[in-house]
Amino acid sequence: MKMISSKTLEKIQAGMGVFANNKYIKSVSNAMILIMTPIIVGSIFTLLTNLPIKAWTDFISKTGLVDLIKIPVSFTSNITALLAAFLIAYSLAERFNKDGLMSGVLGLICFLIVTPTGQVKINDKMISYIPFDWIGPKGLFVAILIGLLTARIYVFFIEKGFIIKMPEGVPPNVARSFNTLIPGFVTVILALFIAIIFKFSPYGSLNQAVFTCIQTPLQGLTGSYISLLIINLAIGILWFFGIHGTVIVFNGIMGPLLLSMDMQNQAAYQAGQALPNIVGMEFFRAYVFMSGTGLTIGLALLMAFFAKSKQYKILGRLVIPTSIFNINEPITFGTPIVLNPVMLIPYLAAPILSSTIAYAVTAIGLVPRINGVQLPWPLPIGISGVLLGSWKIAVLQFFMVFVSLAVYYIPFRYMDRKAYELEKAGSSYATSDSCDVSAR
Amino acid sequence: MKRITLICAAGMSTSLLVTKMNAAAEKSGILVKIRAIPESEILKYADDTDILLLGPQVGYTLTKIKTLYEPKGIKVAVINSVDYGMMNGEKVLKMALELK
Repeated sequence: MKMISSKTLEKIQAGMGVFANNKYIKSVSNAMILIMTPIIVGSIFTLLTNLPIKAWTDFISKTGLVDLIKIPVSFTSNITALLAAFLIAYSLAERFNKDGLMSGVLGLICFLIVTPTGQVKINDKMISYIPFDWIGPKGLFVAILIGLLTARIYVFFIEKGFIIKMPEGVPPNVARSFNTLIPGFVTVILALFIAIIFKFSPYGSLNQAVFTCIQTPLQGLTGSYISLLIINLAIGILWFFGIHGTVIVFNGIMGPLLLSMDMQNQAAYQAGQALPNIVGMEFFRAYVFMSGTGLTIGLALLMAFFAKSKQYKILGRLVIPTSIFNINEPITFGTPIVLNPVMLIPYLAAPILSSTIAYAVTAIGLVPRINGVQLPWPLPIGISGVLLGSWKIAVLQFFMVFVSLAVYYIPFRYMDRKAYELEKAGSSYATSDSCDVSAR
Repeated sequence: MKRITLICAAGMSTSLLVTKMNAAAEKSGILVKIRAIPESEILKYADDTDILLLGPQVGYTLTKIKTLYEPKGIKVAVINSVDYGMMNGEKVLKMALELK
């Protein structure tokens, strides 16, 4: 049952891959991956200050320990834009095969130049400070723009050879700092220029302008129920063609948007206020990507315990342990779900159904909103639910396992019967050429 | 000794396959060095690779990677998706070593 020739498929995949392979988008997503480590560390400290144990919270607030525990949060989650400006400028220069370190440093400096600073008078002395306001999640968009722009200019100057060349015999490290002098001056002057222009604009700063005109409206769109459906559909369809849909959809713009929404929730959670957003990155982790894209945990359970065919019994048992840690490529390619019309509908329906239920019960307040704390993605369901704010979230996650079982039941029966008949006819792994997309 | 590098989006599920391939190699006494890396790190390991295997989820980069690395004498192929799914280390190892 070859449905699509491998040449056509390669073309489809290449077309969809163009977006993901774009240098600029890749740099942003690479930076986001690197930022996750400090953010997760910060999140754990946020959890520590908010543990639902009264004796603990009383203890830390009485002893003043709470202010100390908050320090790591301030210098991880609350400086995301600062980190992003460096890492994005670093990654983009590396993608052009140029030295990333100086590019990153310039990205950081230019970001700070456009960011408004404040001044206070303490004991008759004027002290300048950088407010956390714009170097955290609120400044993420500006960090992306400035990081990309700085790196691109830096790369342009190095490529065109507009650099101060040192005579031979000068140590390479010395030569390197001279090499980057011209792009250094140009980017800093440009950043200063931008800062001055926006200072006299009605917004007062580039950061405020971008936040009001771009970031807020985009977040409004991303957080809606409709966008939840669109994101799910896009990821599912990409995976159906055998492309890592999750990475593509969350690359670039989607990831930073969802991350800032989580960060807003986390800040409110830490301050003990009402959480502003229903959807965020962790919403997807909690209800949509549990056990991997497509909520395939039900399919894995059906295979392991109810399969008649040897092929699916083995696959099911192989996949259950990895599914617990949210890795499901084996089932995606082994069933196969990729390019298999029988599996397309449940594969799209399961996450959509799950997000719909989760969105609805969260909206009416039956289950609390997700606190936005960033968790390592392989964390199993149940545990992640509790850490995301409530045992109720954990219960809802387990309920989704039954949703998955129900959605996959009929297609599973059909696939299993076919495999079983083929095995009885004498050829094991008989389906292995039904989806031979890769042997070219 | 042949050096095989596997690539996928994050290097997660491929590392599972690497374990299985190593077991298969040990069983039949083949000396190989196998590793899994995320796609973004391919440049770093290109000099230490004889055979480059792509996970099916990044298969769309095949043509690009082929033009980049085949001139350097590296063999490039996409892993069969069902073998990948079933984590069939033996079959994937055999395929890799038979590449021309």
